[in-house]
Amino acid sequence: MQVLSYSGSQLVDLCSALLLLTCFAIVAQRRLSACVDLFALQSAFLVMTAALVAYLTGNQHLYIAAALTGVIKVIIIPRVLKKVIDRLNVKRELVMYVNVPAGLLICGGLVMLAFFISQPIIPLGFLLTRDSLAIALAIVLIGFFTMIARQKAVTQLVGFLVLENGLFLGATAATYGMPLIVELGVFFDVLIATLIAGIYTNRLQDAFDSVDTNQLTVLKE
Amino acid sequence: MIEVAALMIAPLFAGGLSLVVHRSALLHAINLMSMGTLVAAEIMITRTVLRDGPFTALDQLVYLDALSSFILFIIGAVGLACSFYMRSYMDEQVARGMIAPTRLNLFFSLFHMFLLAMVVATIANSVGVQWVAIEATTLATTFLIAFWRRRESLEAGWKYLILCSVGISLALFGVVLLYYSSLHVLSDVSQALNVTQLLPVADRLNPHVLKLAFIFILVGYGTKVGLVPMHSWLPDAYTEAPAPVVAMLAGVLEVVSVYAILRMRMIVDHAVPSGFTGGLLVLLGFSSLVTAALFILIQHNYKRLFAYSSIEHMGIAMIGFGVGGPLGTFGGLFHLLNHAFAKSMAFFAAGNIHRRYHTMEIGHVQGLAVAQPWTAMALMISGLALSALPPFASFASEVQVVTALASQGIPGMPFTSTGGMVSFALSDQFSRVGLATVFLLFAVLAFAGLIYRMTRMVWGTPPEGILREETWTLGHLPIILLAGALVVFSFFLPPPIRQLLEQATMLLVIQ
Repeated sequence: MQVLSYSGSQLVDLCSALLLLTCFAIVAQRRLSACVDLFALQSAFLVMTAALVAYLTGNQHLYIAAALTGVIKVIIIPRVLKKVIDRLNVKRELVMYVNVPAGLLICGGLVMLAFFISQPIIPLGFLLTRDSLAIALAIVLIGFFTMIARQKAVTQLVGFLVLENGLFLGATAATYGMPLIVELGVFFDVLIATLIAGIYTNRLQDAFDSVDTNQLTVLKE
Repeated sequence: MIEVAALMIAPLFAGGLSLVVHRSALLHAINLMSMGTLVAAEIMITRTVLRDGPFTALDQLVYLDALSSFILFIIGAVGLACSFYMRSYMDEQVARGMIAPTRLNLFFSLFHMFLLAMVVATIANSVGVQWVAIEATTLATTFLIAFWRRRESLEAGWKYLILCSVGISLALFGVVLLYYSSLHVLSDVSQALNVTQLLPVADRLNPHVLKLAFIFILVGYGTKVGLVPMHSWLPDAYTEAPAPVVAMLAGVLEVVSVYAILRMRMIVDHAVPSGFTGGLLVLLGFSSLVTAALFILIQHNYKRLFAYSSIEHMGIAMIGFGVGGPLGTFGGLFHLLNHAFAKSMAFFAAGNIHRRYHTMEIGHVQGLAVAQPWTAMALMISGLALSALPPFASFASEVQVVTALASQGIPGMPFTSTGGMVSFALSDQFSRVGLATVFLLFAVLAFAGLIYRMTRMVWGTPPEGILREETWTLGHLPIILLAGALVVFSFFLPPPIRQLLEQATMLLVIQ
C-alpha cells in the first residue's frame, strides 16, 4: 500500500510536470496553430492527471470531469480556434512585447514564485497530490504572463485557456475536484467564453483588419 | 418556496421567449412582466426573511438572508427602472436604424440572461455556484456592451471580456483554496462550499489558506467591481454600451460583485483577525477614490465622467466596509443603494442627451435646460446626488462612512508596525484624522469636477439644429421615481428597507 501510494504520487507529479512543460513550449512557440496544438496536448495531459487521481482515490466524479475536459478542451476548443486561425491573415506572432528567451526566463522565475507562495499551505494537502498545487499555481501565473506578453487575440485566448487548465489542475490536486455542480458550471463557462472570444476575433478582424490587440487604442484618456 | 423558483424562472422564461418573438411591443411586454414577477417574488422573500430570518431552499442550493435580500432589492428596483426606460430608448434606436429590428430580440434575450445570472449569484448558497454565475454575467454582457458593433464598442467589449474573465479566473483559484481549507473540517464533500456549512465552522478553517483565498477573491471580484488598479476596462465599457445596459452594469453588477466579496469576508473574518480583510478593503477603497477623483477632473466625455464617478463611489463603499463596525458597514451598504439609484439615473440622462446631441463630448453639449428640460433636471439631480450634497441620501451615507473612518481608523492596522513606509504617522489619532482629511479632500475634488462639467452642459444656448423640446415618454417615469427615492431616503427610510439594512449590517459585523 505504501509503495502504491508512493509510486502513485510520483506518477501524478510526472503528469503535472508534463503540463508545466507544455506551458514553456507554448511560451516559446510563435506559430499560432502550433500554440493551439500544444494547448490540446496540455489538455490531454490534464485528462491523464485527472483520470489518474480518480483511479488512485476512487473518486467517481473526477472521471466525469476528466471526460468533459477531454471532449471540450482536447477536441472542441482546439477545433474552434483552428477555424478562427484559418480565417485570419496572420499565422505567426511577428512582434512580441517580450522575446522568447526573456519570456522563458520570466516563466522560470514565476515557477519559483509559485513554489514559494504555496510553501506554507502545501503540508495541509493530500499526500498524493502535494506538489501539484504549486505546479498548478505556476501554470496559472504563466498563463497570465502569456496573456500580457502576446499581442494576437488568439494567443491571448490560449493564455487564458492555459490559465484555466492550471486552475483545473489546482482543483484536482488540492481537493480531488470541486463539487460536481461547480465543475459543470465552470466547464460551461469556459466553453461559452471561448466561443464568444472566437466570434470576437472574427469581428475584430472585420473591423480593424487585424487581430493585433495593440491596434485597440481608440479608447484612451 | 415558489417565490424563490419564480426569481429564476421569470428571467429564464422571458429570455427564451424573447428569442422567438419579433414584435417590439411584445418584447417589452414580456420584459415588464418578467421584471414585475421578479419584484413581486423579492417582496415576498423580503417579508419572509424579515419575519423568520435566513432560510435555505431548493435542497440547500439557495440561501437567503437580509444581505442577499437587500441586494435583490437593488436588482429589482434598478431592473424595473431600466425596463421602463428601455421602452422609449430601444424603440428610438430601432427607428433611427442603429439596431436592425431583427436584432432587438437578441438584445432582450441577453438582457434577461444577464439578469438571471445576477439573481443566481445573489441567492446561491455555494460559493462555487456564485462564481459560475458571476462569470456568466461577463459572458452575457460582453455582447450587450459591443451591441452597436462599431470599432470602439468591439474594442470595449473585447477588453471587458478578457480582463474580467482573467480576473474572475483568479477568484476561482480563491474558491479552490477555500474548498481546500474546508475539506479538512467538513465531512460532506458535496456541500463543503455552501455558506450555510462554512459559516458555523469558519473559525476552524486554516487561516493561512483563507488569507490567500481572500486575496485571490478580492482581486478577482474587485476586477468586476472596477476597483483601481483593476479598473481599466470600466470607462471604455461604460462609454460604449447602450444606456440601459450601463445603468444595469453600474447600478447592479457592481453591487453584486461587492456582495460576493462581502460574502467571502464573512467567512474569512471568523478565522482571521478582521484587520486583515478590512485593511485590504480600505487600501483598495482609497486607491479607487483617489485615482477616480483625479481622473474625474480631466474628463471631457460625460459617460466616462460617470464611469470614473462609479469607481470613486465603489471606493467609498469599500472604505466603509473596510473600516467596519456598525456605522461603517451600514454606511457602505446604504451607499451602495444610493449609488445604484443615482448612477442609473445619470446614465438614463446620458442616454437621452446622446440621442439628442449625437456626441459624448461635454464641450459640444450646451443648453440642455432649453433643449431637454426633463433630462437637464435628471442630470442635475443625479449629479448633485453623486456629489453627495444634502438633501440627497448619498450625503447621509458618505457622512456615515467618513465618521466611521475618523472615529475608528483602519481596523487592526497599527501604522507604526508596518515598518518604515508609513512610520511617520505619529499616532493613531493623527492617522485617523489624516485619513479622514484625505478622504474629504478627494471627495471634494470629485464633487468640484462633476458639478463644473454638469453646469456647463445644462446652461447656455443649444447649438443650431438641436430640437428644443422634450416630449413626455414612459422613459421619464423611472427618472422621476429614482430622484424622488434619493430625496426621500435621506429623511425617511421605509421601515422594510431600514430593517433589511440593519439586519444585513448585523450579519456583516461579527462579534
